[in-house]
Amino acid sequence: MSVPESPEQTLQRVWTAVAASIGDGSGGTEVLALVGRVCTQLLPVDGASISLVGGVRTREALYTGDEASDRIQRLQESLGEGPSYEAYERRRPTLVPDLAADPGTRWPVFATEIGAYPVGAIFAFPLQRGAITIGALDLYRREPGWLSAEEVTTALRIVDIATLALLALRVDSLHGDWVVALPLERAQVHQATGILISGLGVPAERALAKLRAHAFSVGRMVDEIADDLVSGRLAPADIEL
Amino acid sequence: MNNAPPSGARRESDLVGAFVQMADTLVDDYDVPEVLHQLATHCVNLIGISAAGLLLSDQRGSLQLVASSNERTRLLELFQLQADEGPCIESFRTGDTVTAADLSTTTDRWPVFTPQALEQGFLAVHAVPLRLRGNVIGTLNLFNQRPGALSAEDAKVARALADIATIGILQERTIRHGEVLTEQLQGALNSRITIEQAKGLLAHAGGLDMEQAFQALRRFARAQHTGLSDIAHRLASGQLPPGSVLKPGRVDST
Repeated sequence: MSVPESPEQTLQRVWTAVAASIGDGSGGTEVLALVGRVCTQLLPVDGASISLVGGVRTREALYTGDEASDRIQRLQESLGEGPSYEAYERRRPTLVPDLAADPGTRWPVFATEIGAYPVGAIFAFPLQRGAITIGALDLYRREPGWLSAEEVTTALRIVDIATLALLALRVDSLHGDWVVALPLERAQVHQATGILISGLGVPAERALAKLRAHAFSVGRMVDEIADDLVSGRLAPADIEL
Repeated sequence: MNNAPPSGARRESDLVGAFVQMADTLVDDYDVPEVLHQLATHCVNLIGISAAGLLLSDQRGSLQLVASSNERTRLLELFQLQADEGPCIESFRTGDTVTAADLSTTTDRWPVFTPQALEQGFLAVHAVPLRLRGNVIGTLNLFNQRPGALSAEDAKVARALADIATIGILQERTIRHGEVLTEQLQGALNSRITIEQAKGLLAHAGGLDMEQAFQALRRFARAQHTGLSDIAHRLASGQLPPGSVLKPGRVDST
């Protein structure tokens, strides 16, 4: 008899799979599907999608769990407005537990159009690290309703996993850099990212990738490299591979 | 006794001034990290303590530092350390104010936190919960270089400042639903990351330490009448060159 997995165990399993796929370089959209599916498994939502976001008008859905998720994405893309776009612009989640009750003044056309579909609630999370916005995780449910405190925690853990998965995927495909999985960063990691933006003249996303790639290549923790940069024991030029 | 807070009539007028300033800010469009930084600074001036920080729930079971009266790296670490052990996490979990009036006696209670606090010259610490109805959404953390509990009056001021912080986080939208809190907390936590990135960038570009870099960022944001978070984002995303932030005034040491 098998004991059902607890939500914590499920998250751990998905995280391990994501970390492994990043580690052996096989990370691709399949691993995003795993992250997407866990949303509907652990949360009272009916569909999820994960998109890469390159700018206000540049986004590409890499995973859409079902027809309605796909519809929500395409509608926003064609209109250039909607909760996910708002979340990107405000750099924080846009959470709409009751779409019908929302005045919809922030995205009037989307609100009208989506009325034709059985979508009661939309939760749009930006996938970001400070100034680095890499993507979006969008959830919807047919019936209106917000999440319990435990479900919010689960949703945010999934957001963290999706962010790291996407950072790895994006950096791999765009720059061919190595990346390693790491737990949530300390302040020094963000400061070191800033130091590299200035010192190497690269965008924030590239600066973070460099920091991680360097840590990996010398076999040290990202935290330690960041400390060395902040304290001046390492100069940005030492990071350039 | 604490570090001689202003006394009598002067104290009262300082208090009124601070609360009027906060109230003025909160009716306008404002930036959450900026407001929390002001609050931390007010705590130091009004309560006569040595340092103040604000930590918010990351809604993943932990606390993250979002504002500090001083941006010295070691001090930030001391605040952040309390996500695992120390008065803040205890206050966060119990919803009560936690006071250690004499840190030389708390090594058993907090074996990692205590020696680091002592090493930085702090002898007393207080953590005041930020309460929102039944929930605790963060803590206000006060450090003092002198031992001793807060006076009843100081405790009252700390409580009021913690309440203002809670109101500030929930911003213009009413405290109606949990989703607004999640939007605000997650937004504030990401803003803090952006501010750290911008600090690093300015520190490198201007040859500054992290505190000086933060002050340069803040001065520029104020001069532009723009939120700290916005300026930090524009810097870290390459839309604003560091030179324009560093140039206007000479950066003096603090």
